[in-house]
Amino acid sequence: MKNSLPADPFVQAKMSLRQRISIGLKQYGEVFPYLIFGLVGFLTFSVYPIVKGIYMSFFNYNIINPALSHFIGFANYIKVFQDPNVLISLRNTLLYSLVTVPGQWILGLLLAILINAKVTKFKVTFRMIYYIPVITSWIVISYLFKYLFASGPDGFINYLFYSQLHLLPSPINWLENPWTAMTVIWVLGIWKGLGWVMIIYLAALQSISNDYYEAAMIDGAGDKAILRKITLPLLKPTTVFVLINLIMGSFNVFIQVYTITNGGPLGQTEVLLSYMYKQAFQFMDFGYSSALSVLMGIAVFILTYSQQKKIGQSNI
Amino acid sequence: MLAGLLVVAGLAGCGNASGNGNESAKYNPKEKVTLTFWHTYSDTEKNVFNKEVIPLFEKKYPNIKIKSVTMPTNNLQQQVISAAAGKSGPDVMRMDKGWVPEIAKLGALQQIDTMKDFQKVKKSQLSAAMVSNLYKGHYYGIPNDVNTKIAIYDKVLLKKAGLKEAPKTIDELVAASKKIKDTKHFGIGLGGTAQWNFLPYFWSMGGKLSNDKFTKATGYLDSQASINAVQQIVNWHKQDLVNPAVLGGQPGFWDGIKSHQYLMIDDGPWFYSLQGAPAKKNTVAAQFPTGKSGSISILGGENTVIFNSTQHAAAAWIFAKFIASKEAQQIMAEKTGQLPSNLEAMKQVKASADQTTKQYIEQLGTAKPVIPSGNAGKIDDLLSKTFESIYRGKISVKAGLHNAATQLDTLLQQ
Amino acid sequence: MNKTKGTIINLILALGILVVVFPFIYMILTALQKNSYVLPHPQDLFDDLIHFKFYLGNFAKAWTEGNFQRYFMNSLVVASFATVVGVFISALTAYAFARFQFPFKEPLFKIFLISMMIPGLFNIIPIYTVVHSLGLVDTYSGLLLVYVCTGIAGNTFFLRGFFEQVPREMEESVVVDGGGRWTIFRHIYLPMSKPAIATQAIFAFMGSWDEFFVALTLIKTESKRTLPIALQMFQGVHGTEWGLFFSASLIALIPSIIIFIIFQKYFVQSGQNEGAVKG
Repeated sequence: MKNSLPADPFVQAKMSLRQRISIGLKQYGEVFPYLIFGLVGFLTFSVYPIVKGIYMSFFNYNIINPALSHFIGFANYIKVFQDPNVLISLRNTLLYSLVTVPGQWILGLLLAILINAKVTKFKVTFRMIYYIPVITSWIVISYLFKYLFASGPDGFINYLFYSQLHLLPSPINWLENPWTAMTVIWVLGIWKGLGWVMIIYLAALQSISNDYYEAAMIDGAGDKAILRKITLPLLKPTTVFVLINLIMGSFNVFIQVYTITNGGPLGQTEVLLSYMYKQAFQFMDFGYSSALSVLMGIAVFILTYSQQKKIGQSNI
Repeated sequence: MLAGLLVVAGLAGCGNASGNGNESAKYNPKEKVTLTFWHTYSDTEKNVFNKEVIPLFEKKYPNIKIKSVTMPTNNLQQQVISAAAGKSGPDVMRMDKGWVPEIAKLGALQQIDTMKDFQKVKKSQLSAAMVSNLYKGHYYGIPNDVNTKIAIYDKVLLKKAGLKEAPKTIDELVAASKKIKDTKHFGIGLGGTAQWNFLPYFWSMGGKLSNDKFTKATGYLDSQASINAVQQIVNWHKQDLVNPAVLGGQPGFWDGIKSHQYLMIDDGPWFYSLQGAPAKKNTVAAQFPTGKSGSISILGGENTVIFNSTQHAAAAWIFAKFIASKEAQQIMAEKTGQLPSNLEAMKQVKASADQTTKQYIEQLGTAKPVIPSGNAGKIDDLLSKTFESIYRGKISVKAGLHNAATQLDTLLQQ
Repeated sequence: MNKTKGTIINLILALGILVVVFPFIYMILTALQKNSYVLPHPQDLFDDLIHFKFYLGNFAKAWTEGNFQRYFMNSLVVASFATVVGVFISALTAYAFARFQFPFKEPLFKIFLISMMIPGLFNIIPIYTVVHSLGLVDTYSGLLLVYVCTGIAGNTFFLRGFFEQVPREMEESVVVDGGGRWTIFRHIYLPMSKPAIATQAIFAFMGSWDEFFVALTLIKTESKRTLPIALQMFQGVHGTEWGLFFSASLIALIPSIIIFIIFQKYFVQSGQNEGAVKG
């Protein structure tokens, strides 16, 4: 926590428990008006549901008549490790993460740097247009992609690449084969997300003080050197923020899969969330679904936490 | 709104707290109640229902007001479950037939076979439609409407195949398909590999899912007759007789028949109601072609269920009965093309209906529902995936059906 | 040299725009087609474009059908309130974490972070029971409460970093004038973090403007529903009229674009507040 307060001298000194409690209480008294709304809301609507989910994961849970649920220990967790569909869903989720996180990140960063370049005209227009996919609803975009990638020569993508450009030997049944269907889902993810990365980086880029650049110019550094030696290092905290958000977002991939393939063909494009959704609301197995959800939370935590540690301590 | 309902109930001084549906929930004609009714009617259906059926009901029972709420079809199951979990579901709902046993298993629905007049109502309804309300030997709903699929033929391709009328048997259909077959034209109109698509062919050609009590699948789903039926379909696929829409290819199911590329598809009454006059002009409606076991289509539609959380079980039952009555169903049938489940209404409608509707009503006579089960969602997933794996050649017919039968046994016994 | 480089950069950006915008153009072209339950032939769409043959009936129908306008207004109200209240409460909380010292601060913040990693989709039923026990089912207060509260962790996480980068020296002027923590927050932190807050506001608005699952579950009365539910209504059971659905979607997109245009000028202010948001 580099940027937080210089440690309170009272805390540093050795104090009796009583003193510490009284100081703590005093501190809480001060922070109370600022903290209380957020904290209560957070505990009620974020922590309580999670705790409830953990609780449910140890039961054969009847969601409508909880009294009819019975405790089954770790059975749901054991089932997770024996369920071949979990492996497929996990594989697809990881693939989605591996493809779309770097995809959005690199393209978004590149866009931000290009738009921020001195020579670029119409900066505001570019920024505006690249951002439109971000502000469009996931559901609408998912239907739109399903529509664009329709199979046969009348699907727009097939029309473009097969009928017009002749780059494809025949129209592709995009959504009917696991790998092409997943490609569609990946393309959607990158297409929709890169505007967000761009905007975050633009904010960071534009707030880098000009002094740095001027100093570098005086030293005779070239564009590339400035980018490598000044811009990118200064963007590091932003990068941590962007990556953590992208990783968490990628693990939560759901609506596009649910809308475009609903896991098909043969459950081959299922991701963790769509599989959990199915378990809960289609098969009504809330205990099992909760167990999956808990395990996934732990996995994401380990992944992003280590990331945060590695790239450097920062609260961003 | 819910609070309002409670207030109304409180004022009337008659909180008819009903546990499991039973006769103690007597209707008090002096009690003013408002029932919330969830449905997914289309715009036309909604208009007729709200403007004609409900007023008729409210005139008959002036103290029962109906609040009709249209729900979106996406994520509807999630809505039902969350509402039931929060004890704030509707009083009455028009629900897909397949869901009733599942929601009943969760304990959200009133058991209705102890209600007043139940036997009478049961007798008035198509028996296959009643079956879909069964869970553990008891009934949890009554039919609201039914539908089924019939065979729809393209006139142009029929002519090209040298036929004057629609094929009567599956063998004739296959022969015609072979005649018109080329890279753009296909004869057999399988719409997909899900239960809903596969079962009419499967059943008509002698396949069986389980015993009649729906308790055992081994010996039925993996029997030689079932294997032969599925093998037939796979053979057609190998001979390129089946349209590409079956695996999501283009043209789509409807586009294919519209563009005279598909000789035949099977679909429900919405094929005509959504597409209007041109669809009727260019196609011939006929019974599903006959196989070894006859012409057996699949039964769909909705049932009316009463939620356990209702304060007005008796009034809700009166409303549910009314929707299943001859007069209500006849209005819906004549004005919207929805098919009645009430046998008398069916007879009446058939007498005055046009050719296509007649075909639908006739097909209802032999249509079968999917297996009613508390695990219906899992069963649907299992069967649909099995058919798809077999169709795509990922597993042999015999092995696929054998695996499915074993798993189905467990699901049926849970 | 610089000139060619400029041309190349502008060209790349323009090409990129094509990729980003094209799906929307295709969506608009479809929306301008008369009645299509089936896939229209792409060539037809482009021919109509060339001949300026546009059919506006879908937009008119979408806008006037059922309760669409009412849902539109409902969403506008809900999303606006959720944005204002949500951003304000998150800013308060973020300020508490950024500039106060209290026991268990960092562990608490870690819990905020962890909560964001568990998929929120499945919280819907516990959330529903909470709202139900508060007697707020079928009210906008209930809906707002959920939108605001479920966003707290993420928004606080986002804003804290920005607040911590506001130089502490700036507080001194307020302290000299005798101002307290509240004055510091209002007159230093909020204005200094305008770009971050504007960004947050856009996300908060979008989040509640598009939200479907919670709205449908909590709101029981038809006339109180929000726009995403109306959009879903255009998806039929047995087929979708693409033109109608896309027209409705395009109408729904307009407020988001307006909000973005309004906020974006605060968003990135080149050169004006150098140092306020250090990289």
